[in-house]
Amino acid sequence: MPKVFITGLGFITSIGNDATSVTRSLRELRHGFELYPPFQSPEIPVKVAAPVRGFRLDSTDPEDWTFPAPYKIKREIVRGMAPHGIYAWCAMQQAIEDARLTEDDVSNATTGLYAASGGSPQLMGHMLQRMHTLGVMKCSPLGIVASISGTVNFNLVAHFKIKGTSCGFSSACASSSHALGFAYDDLVLGRQKRMFVVGAEDGNLDAILPFAGMRALSLQTDPNVASRPFDANRDGFVGTGGGVVLVLETEDEVARRGAKVYCEVAGWGQASDGHNVAISHPEGLGLRAAIENALRFTQTPVDAVDYINAHATSTPIGDESEAKALKAIFKTPAARPAISSTKALTGHGLSLAGAMESGFCALAIRDGFMPGSAHITQLDPGCEGLNIIRSTLSAQPHVVLNNVSGFGGANVCLVFKKA
Amino acid sequence: MADAVQPISGTNKPFPASSKPFAPEDETALREALKRCSPSTFEAAIQFRKTCNPEHLPAVVIGVIERFVEPDLRVKLKDADDDLRLIEDLGIDSLTMMEIVILVEDVLQMSINNDELRNLRTVGDVKMFIDCKVRGLPLPKPTKFLPIEQIAAIMPIQPPFLFLNEASVSSSGANAKYKITGQEFFLQGHFKDNPIMPASIMLEALGQLGVLFLLEGIVTEPGKIVSPATIFFTGCEGVRAHRLCRPGDILTLSIKPKRMKMPLATFEGAIRVGQEKAAIAEEITLTFGYSEAFAPPPVVNGVEHSAVNGVEVGSPTPLRAAVNA
Repeated sequence: MPKVFITGLGFITSIGNDATSVTRSLRELRHGFELYPPFQSPEIPVKVAAPVRGFRLDSTDPEDWTFPAPYKIKREIVRGMAPHGIYAWCAMQQAIEDARLTEDDVSNATTGLYAASGGSPQLMGHMLQRMHTLGVMKCSPLGIVASISGTVNFNLVAHFKIKGTSCGFSSACASSSHALGFAYDDLVLGRQKRMFVVGAEDGNLDAILPFAGMRALSLQTDPNVASRPFDANRDGFVGTGGGVVLVLETEDEVARRGAKVYCEVAGWGQASDGHNVAISHPEGLGLRAAIENALRFTQTPVDAVDYINAHATSTPIGDESEAKALKAIFKTPAARPAISSTKALTGHGLSLAGAMESGFCALAIRDGFMPGSAHITQLDPGCEGLNIIRSTLSAQPHVVLNNVSGFGGANVCLVFKKA
Repeated sequence: MADAVQPISGTNKPFPASSKPFAPEDETALREALKRCSPSTFEAAIQFRKTCNPEHLPAVVIGVIERFVEPDLRVKLKDADDDLRLIEDLGIDSLTMMEIVILVEDVLQMSINNDELRNLRTVGDVKMFIDCKVRGLPLPKPTKFLPIEQIAAIMPIQPPFLFLNEASVSSSGANAKYKITGQEFFLQGHFKDNPIMPASIMLEALGQLGVLFLLEGIVTEPGKIVSPATIFFTGCEGVRAHRLCRPGDILTLSIKPKRMKMPLATFEGAIRVGQEKAAIAEEITLTFGYSEAFAPPPVVNGVEHSAVNGVEVGSPTPLRAAVNA
C-alpha cells in the first residue's frame, strides 16, 4: 500500500488564522474564548464562545460580510456560501499555498475533496423565515446551496474546479475525521493521488445555542474556565467555528513534486456505540473499538503511541466515557501516552473538530511538541491512571492518535506518524 | 418589507397593481432594498413609484443591473447601448439574473415569470421587457443572435463580400460586428500602401444588415416570407463618414427600421469603432418582395448623391450589385 502524507494545512480557527499563530497558541496554551457579544442578553444562559477573529459574517446578507485583507472573494462566489464556507475558502487558499500546489495540481481527475459541516442553521432559518413572510419566490436563488449540509463541498468543489472524487460527510462531531479517513482510503486504493479534507462550522449563535437544549453547553461566565476537559468541575462544551483544510498526497505524488511533509497518515479505524442517539456509551465501548481497529490496521503496538489528541469536549458524560476507553487500552505503565484535549483552547468545533485537531497533530509532529490540556485545576478522579499533560511538552511525538465521537455513537480514531 | 411586497399574480396588467398610495414605510423599504444601488437609482425608483411614469424605468433597471455586476465591469454600463449583452459582456449568469429579477419585482411591485426571462439577452431586452410589463403591452419577440455560420446560411450575399461577423436582430433593429482583417481583397488597392476600409463598403455592410433584418422577418407581414432573391439596394441619404477605419478595427454596425411597407424598407444606420462614431446614414432604402409574389425589383430613381470619403455612393448600381452579390 502506498504511504499517505499531509503536505499542506490551512487554518481559520478561534486560536489563530494561520499555522504560525495556531502553533503558538497550542504551545503557549492560549485559548480563543470570550464573552461572545451575541450571547450577552439576559434570556441567554450561555455566555462564552470561541469565535473566529478578523471576519465579520454575522449579517444574513453576505454582501455585508468583511474578511481579513489578504482574502478577496467575488460577490458571485460569496452569495452561495455560508459563513463557514468563507472560513473554508480562506483555509483552502492557505493549504494550497502551503502545499505549493499549482492550478493544475488542484484541478485534475485524481485530485478530490471531502468535506464536513453541519450546514448553516442561521442562513437556513433566515431563508425559511423569508419564505414564510414574503413568499416562496422571494427566497434567495442560492439560499439552499448556502445553507444545507454539503454547502462546503458544493462551493469549494465548484470554485476550485475540483475534478476528482468529492463528497460531504455527515456524522456530526465525527464528520471531518470520517472525511479524512475515507480520503486516506481513496489514496491507498489508488483512486486518487491527492485529497483535500475540509472541516468547517459557522460557530455563531444559531449554530451553537441549539445545543443548550440538550444541556451540552457550559454555562460558565468566565472565559478562562468555561472549557476544561477532564476537570472534575467541567460543565459542558464551548462552541466554536472556523475552517481547516488538510492536503493529503500519496508518496509518489510527494516524490514527484518534491513536497515537504508534515507527517504520515498511517491509517484509521472506526466503530459505533450502538447505544444512544446523543449520549456516548458509558464505558466508551465504541471509541475503544475504534482505537483498537486503528492500532491493528496500522500495526501500531499500544506502547508505541506517544500522544493522543482526545475528543474530550468538557461534557461530564463524554469525557468520562473517553477516559474509560483509553484506560482499557493503555493499561501498562510502559504504555502511557501523553493525552490532552485541545478543546480546552479552541472549544468544540463539531464537524470541524476532526480536521482541526488532525491539523494540530500534524503541527505537533512537525514541530516536536505535545500541547497541554489546559484549564484543569482539579483532575477528574475518573482520569487517574491516564497521563493527561497539563502543560505543553517540548518532545518529539512519533506516533499520534486523534479521537472523535459523534452523535449516534460514531467513533473515529486517526493515526499519524512522524515521516 | 412585508408590506412593500405584494406581487401581482397572473400576466401583464397595467401598473399599478395595487391602488395603495406610496407611503412613508414604502420609502423606507425601498431605500433598504436599493441600499447597494446608486442614489440616482433610488431617486428614479421613488419617482416611478410615486408617479407611475415609465420614463423613470430605464434608470431603475440599469441601476439594479449595475448593482449586480462585478465592479470592474460596471464601466461598460456607463454609456451602455441597448445591445450590451448580459452574459457575454456583463458576466451575469442565470442565477444573477434571478437576483436582478427578485429586486426588480420588489422595487417595481410586479411579478415576472421564469419563462419570460429566458429571452432577455441584452440590456435593451430588459428595458423593453420591463417597459411592456409596466404598460401592460404584449412582450416583444426576443432578440435573436446569429453567428457567422447562420448569417452566411441565410444571406444571398456570400464571402468574400459579406461584411457581418456576428449579428443580433430584434423588433427594434439589428446590430452586428465586423472586424477589418486586412485580408480584404479591395484593401490591396484602397489605398496604395495605406489600407483603409472604403466608405462605400461600410455603407454596403449597413445595407447587408438591413437585408438580414428583412430576412429574419420580424416586422414584415405575418405569414409572409421575404425572398432573399428580391432584396436590392435602392438609395441612401445623409451619409457621413467620420473616421478612417483600418485593419484591426472592429466595426459595430446598427440599423433601425424607419419605414416598412412592401416593396420598400427604410433604415437609419450607424457604424462605431469602440465609442467613436465612424459613419452614419440617415436613410438606407432597400426594396424587397415576398416569396410567393416574386417580382423584379422596381428601379427607384431620384436618389440623392452623397460624397463619402470622396467616393460616389449615390448611384444605386454598384451597391445594388453588391447587396445582391
